Amino acid sequence: MQKDKFFRDIENVRHRNEELVKTHCSYCGMQCGMNLRVDKSTNKIIGVEPRYDWPVTLGKMCPKGVTAYQQTNHDDRILKPLIRDDASLKGTKEGFREASWDEAYDLIAKKFGELQEDYGKDSLSVFSGVSMTNEKCYLTGKFARVAMGTRYIDYNGRFCMSSAAGGFLRSFGVDRGSTLPWTDVHQTDCLFIAGSNTAECHPTSMFRVWAVQERGGYLIVADPRETPVARRADVHLDLRPGTDLALANGILNLLIQNGYADESFVNQHTNGFEETKELVKDFTPEYTSMITGVAVEKIERAAEIYGKAPNAIVMFARGVEQQHKGVDNVSAYTNMALVTGKIGRPKAGVATFTGQGNGQGGREHGQKSDLLPGYQKITNPEAVERVSKVWGIEPEEMPKPGVSAYEMFELMDNKTIRGLYLLCSNPAVSAPNLNFVRGALKKLDFMVCGDFFLSESAEYADVILPSVSWSEDEGTTTNLEGRIIKINKAQEPIGESKPDWLMQVELAERLGKGKHFSHLKTAKDVAEEFRLASKGGVADYYGATWDKIDEQDGVFWPCTDKEDKGTPHMFLDKQFYHPDGKAKICALPYRPPAEEPSEKYPLRLTTGRVVYHYLSGNQTRRIKFLNDMCPDPYVEVHPITAAEYDIEHDEVVLLYTLRGKANYKVKITEAIREDTVFVPYHFGDLESINLLTIAALDPISKMPEYKACAAQIDKIKVAGKVL
Amino acid sequence: MTTTTTTRRKLYMELENCIGCRACLAACTQCGGHEQKNRNYVYDVNPLVNSQTMPLMCLHCVDPACARSCPAQAIQIHETGAVLSATVDKCIGCQNCTIACPYGIPKFDEEENLMYKCDLCIDRTKDDIPPMCASVCPSNTLQWLTEDEIADKKQATDVGNDKWVTSMPYLEGETHVTVNLPGVLQGTVKLF
Repeated sequence: MQKDKFFRDIENVRHRNEELVKTHCSYCGMQCGMNLRVDKSTNKIIGVEPRYDWPVTLGKMCPKGVTAYQQTNHDDRILKPLIRDDASLKGTKEGFREASWDEAYDLIAKKFGELQEDYGKDSLSVFSGVSMTNEKCYLTGKFARVAMGTRYIDYNGRFCMSSAAGGFLRSFGVDRGSTLPWTDVHQTDCLFIAGSNTAECHPTSMFRVWAVQERGGYLIVADPRETPVARRADVHLDLRPGTDLALANGILNLLIQNGYADESFVNQHTNGFEETKELVKDFTPEYTSMITGVAVEKIERAAEIYGKAPNAIVMFARGVEQQHKGVDNVSAYTNMALVTGKIGRPKAGVATFTGQGNGQGGREHGQKSDLLPGYQKITNPEAVERVSKVWGIEPEEMPKPGVSAYEMFELMDNKTIRGLYLLCSNPAVSAPNLNFVRGALKKLDFMVCGDFFLSESAEYADVILPSVSWSEDEGTTTNLEGRIIKINKAQEPIGESKPDWLMQVELAERLGKGKHFSHLKTAKDVAEEFRLASKGGVADYYGATWDKIDEQDGVFWPCTDKEDKGTPHMFLDKQFYHPDGKAKICALPYRPPAEEPSEKYPLRLTTGRVVYHYLSGNQTRRIKFLNDMCPDPYVEVHPITAAEYDIEHDEVVLLYTLRGKANYKVKITEAIREDTVFVPYHFGDLESINLLTIAALDPISKMPEYKACAAQIDKIKVAGKVL
Repeated sequence: MTTTTTTRRKLYMELENCIGCRACLAACTQCGGHEQKNRNYVYDVNPLVNSQTMPLMCLHCVDPACARSCPAQAIQIHETGAVLSATVDKCIGCQNCTIACPYGIPKFDEEENLMYKCDLCIDRTKDDIPPMCASVCPSNTLQWLTEDEIADKKQATDVGNDKWVTSMPYLEGETHVTVNLPGVLQGTVKLF
């Protein structure tokens, strides 16, 4: 079933004295299959070999994937626990000394204990991430609630996937990032891609995207920039940043007006159509064009193509999600599929391009402030009872919901939160409004950071715990399809580094909670407990054993028991997850971005990724090949705008907003709107574009509006001199 | 593993698919025989205008100018047709090959005083395993195809309107690599 037209039966090259360990990439949600080459005499990872038989990516990799193995034995790896005694050095790389695990654990237990004694249980917090296995994500949630006993846990998915989650939950009653497997993508007749720079952020999707056009299908791309995927689109909807909701409403209006609504599907399987139809009536092509800046003809053509297509997939990513109406954008684009009935069958549906490696699984299993494993609400007494039983605690002991990622920094700033355990994330680069966030980190009484490189955020820590890279531990992740896959261990941990789950078990023992953790001796032990804890939840992983994952090339959740093979296609029975089995078509009034351009700040600033870097760049900036390709950030400016500001290609300018400023080299390109400038966000210290971005949060997902704020450029060089 | 050295497939390039990710350059360093040095190129076609990029790989000429120009006869041609990198003990570092190549492919290592070029990952392609660049290419710009598959590609995209150019017949001279220049969709009939 999974051997599609791209599959080739190819044997791998096996070099002498080498072993190949099959696994997946450490980076984005594509989770490309790869083989790590291990030297049998040194037992070290020395290279990569394509994994031709992985059905999703067939051996293909982007430059990050090809060089991912270079993280494992990198010179910058932290090999021992580090302690910094002089708190005045916080925010710098200085003052750390090597320590034993015992000393580090003792110090953490002592400081955490003191803070909780003086300021209460909830004076501590956990900020985690989703570039790690389900097992680690699961145990981190348990560790926060059982070992630390705090309500304050949240994670960097709030900066990445939470709007998609919120939108899918509202529209479908379930949040699985894709309603279909990726092997359907090239077989559809129309791809409508909004706010995804697919070619740079999920490159190994591209052979399937181009294949749609080769078959005579259509590609529609909505993006303020003419990205490499937009360059070849049949229709490029070059909208103003932050106006997706108007565009989606406008297209929905045309679909309904021109008779593309599937009335029998709408009547039988959805709610909310009439109300939505009324609301989108105002979004005539002309009105939509006025808000979005997209030509009327393009809007009409896009609606016509999507409407006529026998099968179509609506896809989106951070471009639409990282807005203060990100959840509305997701539901509004999802409306297109629900109104036309292009969902619940092969080759038709809705998908988001998951940004982080385990962005899907990591948000399902209890790292979110209000969620327990299996996507179970911490406010649902039955779920609390089920999970409490697995964890061996009384339901009354379960902490209440906490707050979202950015809101935790507000609580650090006002000293509600005084202690932090940070892992698998680098918010000192990736959070918005960084002057505030970095200040909040500095105010902490005590901070622990688990990481394998000394990130910009680790610079605020009192104790750094050396974790392992992805290649030195095993476990599962859930890729952007919702397919649970297996990450395999290729090398023993270097130095004294340890997997995060093991640190948490050992630390729990120091915190007097060993009886809830000490039975977890291996990653597999964690996996077994985690499957059980997810049982009965929406994201039920109970049937997804490691053996089944190996046998089937992954397991799509939900997978509820041993016989269940999993669920590659969602909603084939047209049953959605709301109590009445129907999906919700949402009537969503348009709201402009939180900060619109003004006389003082006339430009629209938007941010994103480049193909060579991942997230905050803490990993990829250390890889020589990748850093050589893109060593510095830059600001993309249209030549007409550049002429207005009298600035040239490669000239350094000052870019600023109400919140912050930074200097960037100008990159002139016609592939961006004249009213918009773009800066990639992978860089630290004074180069972080997030010094300038706005922390306007989506009311549901608490996603900051990274994708749109008002900015201005000042020339700082006159006649060869920097002013 | 097959022991025959007859390759059944060839490198085929569809330039318009290129997304500029340069995975091909990164992957080139991963071929066991390449000593971590990449041997190919990716160019920005219109740097101040759009995001169009294109790879430039050795086309493995049937009558290669690099080999003909080599005074030391250091550049050998494999029986598969792959034009190999200069034999280390023969290369005199004169760089004639770089100048002679119509595409500027051979690179020069100043420290070692040696040329090095794409050998089509000969330790892979001799067994019909795709070279590293085509193995990883996420956009199918670089593909490893049989003669029949290449013939199908030609038929699908050569619409006989004189606007279409591929390396068939030949850009410069006959090559073992087939290049499909921008315009790859022009023969496509839309589904609706």
